[in-house]
Amino acid sequence: MKRRFPLLLVFIFGIMGIIPYYIPHAAYQNFDNGLRNDFLRILSAFAIILGLVSLMRVHHDKIKRKRENWQFSYVLIIGFVVSGIIGLLGGVEGELFLPTRIAGFQFDIQTLYLNIIVPLGSTMFALLAFFMASASYRAFRARSLESSLLLGAAFIIMIGVLPLADRISTHLPSFAQWVMDIPNVAAKRGITFGIALGGIATSLKIILGIERSWLGGKE
Amino acid sequence: MKVIEYLSQLDRRIVYLVLAFAVMLPLIIPSVQRVRVMTPVAKLFNAVDAIPDDRILMIDFDYDPQTLPEMEPMGIALLRHAFQKRIRVAALSLYVQPLGLAKRALDQVTEEFNQRATSYADSVIYGRDYVFLGWQPPPIVPLLGMGISITSVYTRDYYGYRTDSLPMMRRVRNFNDVGILVSLSGATAPLWWVAYSQTRFGVAVGAGITAVSASEFYQYYQTGQFSGLMIGMKGAAEYEELVETKLMLVDRRKASEALGSLTAAHLTMIAFIIIGNVGYFVRRRSRKGVVK
Repeated sequence: MKRRFPLLLVFIFGIMGIIPYYIPHAAYQNFDNGLRNDFLRILSAFAIILGLVSLMRVHHDKIKRKRENWQFSYVLIIGFVVSGIIGLLGGVEGELFLPTRIAGFQFDIQTLYLNIIVPLGSTMFALLAFFMASASYRAFRARSLESSLLLGAAFIIMIGVLPLADRISTHLPSFAQWVMDIPNVAAKRGITFGIALGGIATSLKIILGIERSWLGGKE
Repeated sequence: MKVIEYLSQLDRRIVYLVLAFAVMLPLIIPSVQRVRVMTPVAKLFNAVDAIPDDRILMIDFDYDPQTLPEMEPMGIALLRHAFQKRIRVAALSLYVQPLGLAKRALDQVTEEFNQRATSYADSVIYGRDYVFLGWQPPPIVPLLGMGISITSVYTRDYYGYRTDSLPMMRRVRNFNDVGILVSLSGATAPLWWVAYSQTRFGVAVGAGITAVSASEFYQYYQTGQFSGLMIGMKGAAEYEELVETKLMLVDRRKASEALGSLTAAHLTMIAFIIIGNVGYFVRRRSRKGVVK
């Protein structure tokens, strides 16, 4: 029963997810819409709580056992608690009862987000440009015909998207566009078909209970 | 020969330093770079421009701080276009993180228009000209639910008002009242709108995406599933160009200003790749000479 019940649920809800695409009747569409709007949202709310509790337990455990980089777990827990209190009691823009401004210093969720999360996130992503530059300088070599073609295509795209390209040749941006439109799409479409067919096969195996690894443990 | 060998074995910190200067210098003295508008952006602009009076523009702000510099100018250009043409806008996010950024873009553009407005009719008013629907988890709920009823998915907006009480939403029921939905995302959200909302309800979808992820989206653009595409900083700059030249709306163009920095960064990377390759071939030739 412990294994059969989840399998039965997956089968029923898997089939119910497919049916609305083939039965456009209003009665079934309304049923499907109600199921999604109410049932799925309630499930999702529980999933958020489960996720947060699990996150806290993992980091609490990390601190308790002094695992590698355990100090950073304090940052996460303090950040979570502080932003939770400010958000729940002060509101996103300080519209609730907790004061989120002391003299000129504002600390509502929107201000914290725009002044802490945004610069940190942008900085992390900006670092990628430096790693890419360094990696391409060291490893992007015309060692074979394939890598030479890749190198050529990269140069065309990199120059073709710049305003400068028009000054070099008016055909260059159009050629860069052609590379994206034709050879790129040909390769990508082949990959997409492969992924889609694989996705359908795997989904059917899960719905029909053939693939059971998601249940965990051994069969 | 020694110079080439030295250049091809530069310390990575020198590479970082040169790239940092290349990126920063054009940003210190920003200048607007004019661009030729390519077909994907022109198509998106025309699709938004052709939205009839009884339909709205829906913008899905799904970018996060990591992709903000590329994506935010797209959102701002789209909002300027819509407000200038008096097209009503419904904004939303599929995830919670972009909400703050969506609000920032909406606040900036409404302020720009309201500073210029001379009357109430000219102003951009919340609830009449635009609404901010906020976020409803999980993403599949708005993706499919809005095909039946938008106000039943988003019963309250971002600010907590009942959506069915907002004047604009009284005439907007579901995707049939959406002229086009433009998804601005650094990930794959635009594909979900195509896979779920368009397939089932036929809503027109456009996309604003990062340059690095562009290759994923061209196949859907080619089949007409995307009405148009804005790709990376250049795509945003092209849309800004169209807003300025076709609508005579002159405002700060952040993407067009950033193109100088983008140009310098690309050229620097190309130069480093060429230096690395020259060094590689010189070393290979000299190694062959030693073997002989």
